[in-house]
Amino acid sequence: MSEIKLTINNKEITARSGQTILEIAALNGIEIPTLCHDERVEIFGSCGLCTVEINPHGGVSPRLFRACATVASDGMVVNTETERVRRNRTNALELLLSEHRGDCKPPCTLACPAETECQGYVNLIAEGKEKEAYDLIMEKIPLPSSIGRVCPHPCEDACRRELVEEPIAIAALKQFAGDRHAAEAISDGGNVYEPELNTGKKIAVIGGGPGGLSAAYFLRLKGHGVTVFDSMPYMGGMLRYGIPEYRLPKELLQKEIDVIKSTGVEMRNNTRIGSDITLGELREKYDAVIVAVGAWTSSSIRCEGEDLNGVLGGIDFLRESPDIRGKTVAVVGGGNTAMDACRTAVRLGADTVYNIYRRTRNEMPAEEIEITEAEEEGVVFKNLTNPIKIIGDAQNNVKSIHLQIMELGEPDASGRRAPVAVHGKEETLDVDIVISAIGQKLNPAGFEELNLTKWGTIAADTLTFATDLKGVFAIGDAVNDGAGIAVTAIGQAKKAAEAINIYLDEKCSKCSLPRNPYLVKDEKTAEDFKGEEKYLRVKMPHRSPEERRGDFKEINFGFSEEQAKREASRCLKCGCRQAMGGDISAFGVNTDCKLLNYANQYDVKPDKYNGLVHKRGVNTDIPNVNQNPEKCVLCGLCIRLCEEEVGAGVLGFVGRGYDTKVKAAGDLTPCENCGKCAEVCPTGALVKIRN
Amino acid sequence: MRVTVGLGSCGIAAGADKVFNLLNKELEDFTPCGASAVTGCIGMCYLEPIVNIDDDVYVKVDEEGAYELVKLLKGQKNNALSYKASAQDIELLASQTRIALKNCGVINPESIDEYVLKDGYKAAEKCLKNMNFEQVIEEIKTSGLAGRGGAGFPTWFKWNAARNSVGSEEKYIICNADEGDPGAFMDRAILEGDPHAVLEGMLIAAFAIGANEGIIYVRAEYPLAIIRLEKAISQARQKGFLGKNIFGSDFNFDIRIKAGAGAFVCGEETALIASLEGGRGMPRLKPPFPAQKGFKGKPTNINNVETFANVPWIIRNGGEAFAAIGTENSKGTKVFALTGKIAKGGLVEVPMGWTIKDVVFGVGGGIQNNKSFKAVQMGGPSGGCIPAVLENVTIDYKSLAETGAIMGSGGMVVMDDTTCMVDMARFFLDFTCKESCGKCTHCRVGNRRLLEILERICGGGGKDNDIELLEELSEEIKAGSLCALGQTAPNPVLTTLKYFKNEYEDHILNKKCTAHSCKPLLTYRIIPEKCTGCTLCARKCPANAITGTVKTPHVIDSEKCVKCGDCVKLCKFDAIVTT
Repeated sequence: MSEIKLTINNKEITARSGQTILEIAALNGIEIPTLCHDERVEIFGSCGLCTVEINPHGGVSPRLFRACATVASDGMVVNTETERVRRNRTNALELLLSEHRGDCKPPCTLACPAETECQGYVNLIAEGKEKEAYDLIMEKIPLPSSIGRVCPHPCEDACRRELVEEPIAIAALKQFAGDRHAAEAISDGGNVYEPELNTGKKIAVIGGGPGGLSAAYFLRLKGHGVTVFDSMPYMGGMLRYGIPEYRLPKELLQKEIDVIKSTGVEMRNNTRIGSDITLGELREKYDAVIVAVGAWTSSSIRCEGEDLNGVLGGIDFLRESPDIRGKTVAVVGGGNTAMDACRTAVRLGADTVYNIYRRTRNEMPAEEIEITEAEEEGVVFKNLTNPIKIIGDAQNNVKSIHLQIMELGEPDASGRRAPVAVHGKEETLDVDIVISAIGQKLNPAGFEELNLTKWGTIAADTLTFATDLKGVFAIGDAVNDGAGIAVTAIGQAKKAAEAINIYLDEKCSKCSLPRNPYLVKDEKTAEDFKGEEKYLRVKMPHRSPEERRGDFKEINFGFSEEQAKREASRCLKCGCRQAMGGDISAFGVNTDCKLLNYANQYDVKPDKYNGLVHKRGVNTDIPNVNQNPEKCVLCGLCIRLCEEEVGAGVLGFVGRGYDTKVKAAGDLTPCENCGKCAEVCPTGALVKIRN
Repeated sequence: MRVTVGLGSCGIAAGADKVFNLLNKELEDFTPCGASAVTGCIGMCYLEPIVNIDDDVYVKVDEEGAYELVKLLKGQKNNALSYKASAQDIELLASQTRIALKNCGVINPESIDEYVLKDGYKAAEKCLKNMNFEQVIEEIKTSGLAGRGGAGFPTWFKWNAARNSVGSEEKYIICNADEGDPGAFMDRAILEGDPHAVLEGMLIAAFAIGANEGIIYVRAEYPLAIIRLEKAISQARQKGFLGKNIFGSDFNFDIRIKAGAGAFVCGEETALIASLEGGRGMPRLKPPFPAQKGFKGKPTNINNVETFANVPWIIRNGGEAFAAIGTENSKGTKVFALTGKIAKGGLVEVPMGWTIKDVVFGVGGGIQNNKSFKAVQMGGPSGGCIPAVLENVTIDYKSLAETGAIMGSGGMVVMDDTTCMVDMARFFLDFTCKESCGKCTHCRVGNRRLLEILERICGGGGKDNDIELLEELSEEIKAGSLCALGQTAPNPVLTTLKYFKNEYEDHILNKKCTAHSCKPLLTYRIIPEKCTGCTLCARKCPANAITGTVKTPHVIDSEKCVKCGDCVKLCKFDAIVTT
């Protein structure tokens, strides 16, 4: 073999004669995409992704060639990244994606603000791999026990099992995995989750709630020094001070905080920004700051008498748990905080607890189970009422609340039917305490340097969560849309942590601006699952209303191992196994699915080629392999490897043109059950069945 | 006296076999003729069935005509003028330059003796006895013969490459008879009309490259060609033209037939080889070229039927004589299959350098029903259309390529003003989509999407940026496909876009098909002045879209109309028009 010299991307390269451009590029660290090439088999050249521009003899008019099949010659001038090359590759990807049918990510993950790998951990639980399940959750949610208990689980709303009978109890399964492993994580001897090598960078996290703690955890694992500052005596934020004990035992929360702490996160309580330390000081001492202070100021009822003694904010009430034995309480609001307040009031010994809500039960934003359980515990729901006035006695103590009777009018912008006053119909309730649980706001004291939105929240970029102040990021209830759910804050923590990694990495000069990843999504209807056997959702065992209303002990017992397995095995496994094993974030996609990875490296717009997409369904024609022809890119690797490497030759192409597909032979005797066909598949078209 | 009946597939389809049987029966005991003989297609398909009595040509001979001819032969009649070919038709035939088709329709293809009488196998004998392989290749080089299958690659170059390919003594000659273009039947006519010319051409090529085995890859849809080839091979073996020590030399060569399943893509060399080897007809990457690594990995030369049919003539008459015909860059003749809206459809062989007009309005006799000439699609689905304004373009590889079309294998589909060019592109793309082997992304999915866009446009769903999308996608498909099928599939789209963009715009923007061909874009209307109120259309309309009372003009409700077009055909008063 003689030596040749050629130029690739203006770089002179020495190679051996007989080598292809693809081989030479790989040896020189130049990445050329390909879906159909594998060193073990003969060159095929079908996918059309490895095109490069070549001036065959240094001429002026370059042409496109397939790098996998073009043998380099002396003096060749090759360009692998010209606009023409990228256009042709993008086009090939768009065409492949236009016939690609499936779900890269399952609907549960897509619905989760933290993009939790629900399908992944649910199935690990089904397989009895609880620790693996726990580890997988920890990648996105470092507080599984707590979030499993408090999350209103948008994942379950999106679950396709609903199209069969009922969604999977995803949150309860998260709780299960968390409960069984948070304790173990600590007792195992400290740092179970080993941070990467110390970067020498220091980050301050303001606020020790779910968002702040999660951000601290993610950043610490990247090797940064992280300190969490919190104004309260204990960490946990709203999880500790806003969620009642009967829903989330604080002992469990503390265990999870300890897991985070065990990675080396420093935690400083009783430190308030503005009075104890200023944002400016933190910015000076630390390389980056995350503001995750939450929304701790209850919105006022805005009616006459709101300043009377005995009018309390919902979260203030939950945090302080005052003595209200024998008193009559009215809780205003229909959300989860309102329910928490109602049920806490019951447990604190209130005589009667009213819930005041201006719409009907159907419109209540609180979770259905919370409303039902509140009813069971004796809360009196006064739907379609709205406070007009709170009346006090001579000592300015609350005496009664005057209500306007409402009815539902036309739907408003949010789609909910707007409450309208019924003229002349009013009602008065004798009450001692009025709790306002109609929303929370940020207390901006100490953060005057930050720009606020017109809603009084901190303005942050919706993808990176950077504020207008250099090096300061803000997440959670305190930013943009304001108070939301804990898992949203955790999702933002992950994104902000990734943005900070890029921000702190001086070498990362070409780290591109993040954009939302391209993912293939499918639409399914009940029709698609009509053959599916029905298995009802496993009911969560819980304490009776009579028993539980007297104390703050946790209501739910959690799943047993058997229940958890049974529930988890109901999963329909909507997401693509190939795409799930890896990382998909706004900052890049790196999965086992080469097609998805490339799709995100090129700016694909496959919609312009919307056309016929085959509906072929999954089969198990190949032993121990699930074949989904709807995801096949016809690279032929499975066929060729089976024939050339394994020598079995049980796979082949059938059909012509657009109807071509890969099919197993009728006689599978030569099949060695080696699964190499699935291993070599660049997409999720062939997937080994896990044992 | 010699009586022959044209019994090519085209003649048989027109009923020539009945005429042949009838003549045989009637003339069996009639000494001057004995019986009628078989011959191949002379090319005047529009005149089939054709009977020759010595030099007289009788056309469109039906059963009645056959009896007339019997009477004529037996002296019971003086003439059969009503069946005699017109002087014009005979003149048009004579105006051609016939090399590849020299014997077609003239000799009995099932008789090697008739071929030999026409100097058959003389060329092979000359090569084997008096020439070495270099001289043979040199002669072909002098002739300027280029591959007639479509690509137009110099034949001598391929032969030379296969001859010089080192590393193996075992070499192969393959005749590509997998003619697949819709509307093309040049190869079939040669195989059916003069199979020995192909065998002789292969024999000469085998001698030139040093191959001892030849294979004819012929599509199974050509049963008559296969039968005649089988007969020809068997006769050639008997005569010693195939087999061992041919013409007393130490050269051995034999030929076998492989019937292909009729996949268009198997016309591509590497796919053809894969199919011959028992694999799926799927093209592979080149290089290595078949001349280096072909059938069974051995050096292989593949030529098309028409190319081989030219070879004996060249050897007999010399390369110079062949090169004297044609133009600077394209030598010899080309056989064309004229189809579509042409008045005199059939096979013609004309010298390179004629113009499109010479073919269409000369040997082709112009457009049917005196409609106006709109365009001609050349080169089948891989080719492109040439508009009437370019009718003076000469037929040679270079000039045709400059128009965006290609010479192709010889299909010429002639179109008049009732042909919608968008629909025409759609038709050819539909064909290539079905015939794609499915390997390359751009061909498999890209052409499918291209077709879907065209279908949408023809169906009235064209969108504003569809033209740009068609152009962009076409360009990527051409660049991204491995074999010629994919690379050329967008050509009908690109050439119609080039010459008939206005038709695309009419479809997309105005939802109009000016050729009145795309039904979803048509509106049916009754001209009140012409309507007699006969009620026929109203009674037959499947959608009950036509209303009116007897003897008063009827009206079509365009909302209800399903655009089936039945009413137009039914109306005896031409009162229903489309707009």
